[in-house]
Amino acid sequence: MNIKQLNKSKVPIVRIDNSLEKFIKIPLFQDKVDKANEILRTVGLPKLQTTKKHHR
Amino acid sequence: MKLPRYQLKAEKSLLVFEFVSEGPKGQIPKLVKFTETNLKGLFNLAFGDKDQHTDEINDSVVSNNGDSEKVLSTVVATLYAFTDKHPDAYVLATGSTKSRIRLYRMGITKYFDEIQKDYHIYGLRNEAWENFEKEINYEAFLAKRKKTIKFAL
Repeated sequence: MNIKQLNKSKVPIVRIDNSLEKFIKIPLFQDKVDKANEILRTVGLPKLQTTKKHHR
Repeated sequence: MKLPRYQLKAEKSLLVFEFVSEGPKGQIPKLVKFTETNLKGLFNLAFGDKDQHTDEINDSVVSNNGDSEKVLSTVVATLYAFTDKHPDAYVLATGSTKSRIRLYRMGITKYFDEIQKDYHIYGLRNEAWENFEKEINYEAFLAKRKKTIKFAL
């Protein structure tokens, strides 16, 4: 992939920084995670649509 | 994504991202975290300002750094990076206040035409998930990267 393609890509270039690993174990945004768990408990998940492409 | 966004850093599992907002109020580090919920494979997306001295995160502060569109564009970019590494993951987002949820809705609406090509997007309303539609107020949002199933005939 050249620079032009990289700049247009929806997936960004991400620099790896191991110092951020400490935040994995720290319970951040816990109120939102609790809210998400409550939504999942009461509502569950939607029924997924499937995109189908037919090739001949 | 053609809109400007900030350079991203992340740890190697791409669960935690950091970028720096730049504006009239200076440089404000932001942290985005994908936290797995009680349902395996379903992650909560949340982001907030990181205190440069204490590393504490504040997700209720309004930065007013004049770059909210660039910040949202960058958060959308983290979704692409995250689901590139975790393609089967569901990602759920809720706001801490009604105004924050409205901000998220505006952000999704702005990028909807682009992200709907790659994601199933749902909004939570009246205790049920429905396909996301612009201009409707939802309580939460859910995204799942699309899989294209090819049938050879």
